Amino acid sequence: MARILIRFSEEQVSEPIASQIIIEYKVPMAILSAHINSKGGEILAEVPDEILEKVVNAFRQRGVSVTVHKLIEVNSEKCFSCGSCIALCPVEAISLAKDSTVQFDKDKCVGSTCSVCVDACPARAIKSIKQNNSENSASNREKKS
Amino acid sequence: MNQFYLLNFRNCYQRYNCAVNSNDEIIYAYMSKLLPRMRNATFSGRGELNPLMNDPDYETMGMGTRIFLGGAQGYIIGEGTQHSPKNLNGTLMVKGDAKKMSPEFLQGAAFTKYGTSLYVGLGVPIPILNEGLAKKTAIQDSEILTDIVDYSVPRRDRPKFGQVSYKELKSGAITVNGKKVRVSSLSSLKMAKKVSQTLKSWIAEGTFFLTAPVERLPTNTVFKPMRQTEEIPFVVSIMHPAVTCTEDEEIQVIAKRIVTKSVNHIVVVDEAGKLRGIVTSWDITRAMAEGKKALADIESRNVVTAKPDEPLEIASKRMAQHNISALPVIDIEKKVLGIVTSEDVSKLLGR
Repeated sequence: MARILIRFSEEQVSEPIASQIIIEYKVPMAILSAHINSKGGEILAEVPDEILEKVVNAFRQRGVSVTVHKLIEVNSEKCFSCGSCIALCPVEAISLAKDSTVQFDKDKCVGSTCSVCVDACPARAIKSIKQNNSENSASNREKKS
Repeated sequence: MNQFYLLNFRNCYQRYNCAVNSNDEIIYAYMSKLLPRMRNATFSGRGELNPLMNDPDYETMGMGTRIFLGGAQGYIIGEGTQHSPKNLNGTLMVKGDAKKMSPEFLQGAAFTKYGTSLYVGLGVPIPILNEGLAKKTAIQDSEILTDIVDYSVPRRDRPKFGQVSYKELKSGAITVNGKKVRVSSLSSLKMAKKVSQTLKSWIAEGTFFLTAPVERLPTNTVFKPMRQTEEIPFVVSIMHPAVTCTEDEEIQVIAKRIVTKSVNHIVVVDEAGKLRGIVTSWDITRAMAEGKKALADIESRNVVTAKPDEPLEIASKRMAQHNISALPVIDIEKKVLGIVTSEDVSKLLGR
């Protein structure tokens, strides 16, 4: 499974773009989190690897910004494995290894749409990576202007 | 810098509270981020690895005890502030040459919306001087209990939800009021192990020598917190008895009660006094107008409530949020304790 972050602009939120793509391509898309209002929004979704490219292209053809999602970055040099973050993570992406080192599972993490752990880290070792400047969303902005 | 000493007035808490937040908003505290409605818990301290827990009568600890401090050799210089050994809350005051310490064992920390802090690696060698100490140092996490404390109540005497052992705390989840709550440590087990292993190797190599304390830590004192001179108003201080009814009563009877008691809200309870719903004078008026007879047709079952221990300010915000004018006050078993209305709040604030 691959994670994609779909960003809708103010003009796009009123159109049923995601539903159309799901129906047209028969995509079993799991929505992990969504924040949408009249000003736009984003959906974090999971799609099977085999059709990832097809889905990403389908969104992009409709002018919607899609990024294959990257997430949360942990600076392992700063982290001293206190574990404050563990119980905060809603998807249990953080755990204690056998040697008591805090380990972070990138595949489970839902990324910057959640970020609940970021400001709870006393070592400031966790960073949320926003992807506003990704290549595709930049070209979309140009198209619109 | 030619001189750099670490003098720490309170370190190495023997044990500490487990913190939860029963309220509706996130709390940022020195116990880190506490999610609303007890969605997480935090605890501090290493339980069976804590030096004071292993030598609770302080036979080997006191002024002059040489210790591992921040990656270098340091000293205990006495009991720490808030040292309260009688209820197993001893603390240490320590001193060391920070120039010899290492960043690995002395790390800066930031608690969001609270302040900065320092993570200090501290280890105390405990020589097994007698049979008693052999027994005491065999203490286990399952034997060390601590209180589960509700940090959403901003006063010194916070409500408690019973006790848990460090074994339960380290398991990653505890049960509070019958609900499973995931729990995180604030101090690092990995680093605690590293401290003890490093200290052990120093002793084995002959680079660290044990000392006997000049004066042992006191064992019979109790820490008295400062008297609280001012308190913000809580729901409990303003709530009054609720006018109630049961679901089998007729609307006519309830309407009469609203008039004789001169209230706007009737709390619907079951035989045990537990909350079932709420009916307002407006609901009754509408029932009359629409010719409805059954209470079940007009009562609101989704009741927004308050707890006796929460600050009035938060309860009053909740009323505004939901655009309602009263909150039944209930305990954890949903038993109705009283009611607080927006009128009560404005009266208090108007004073």
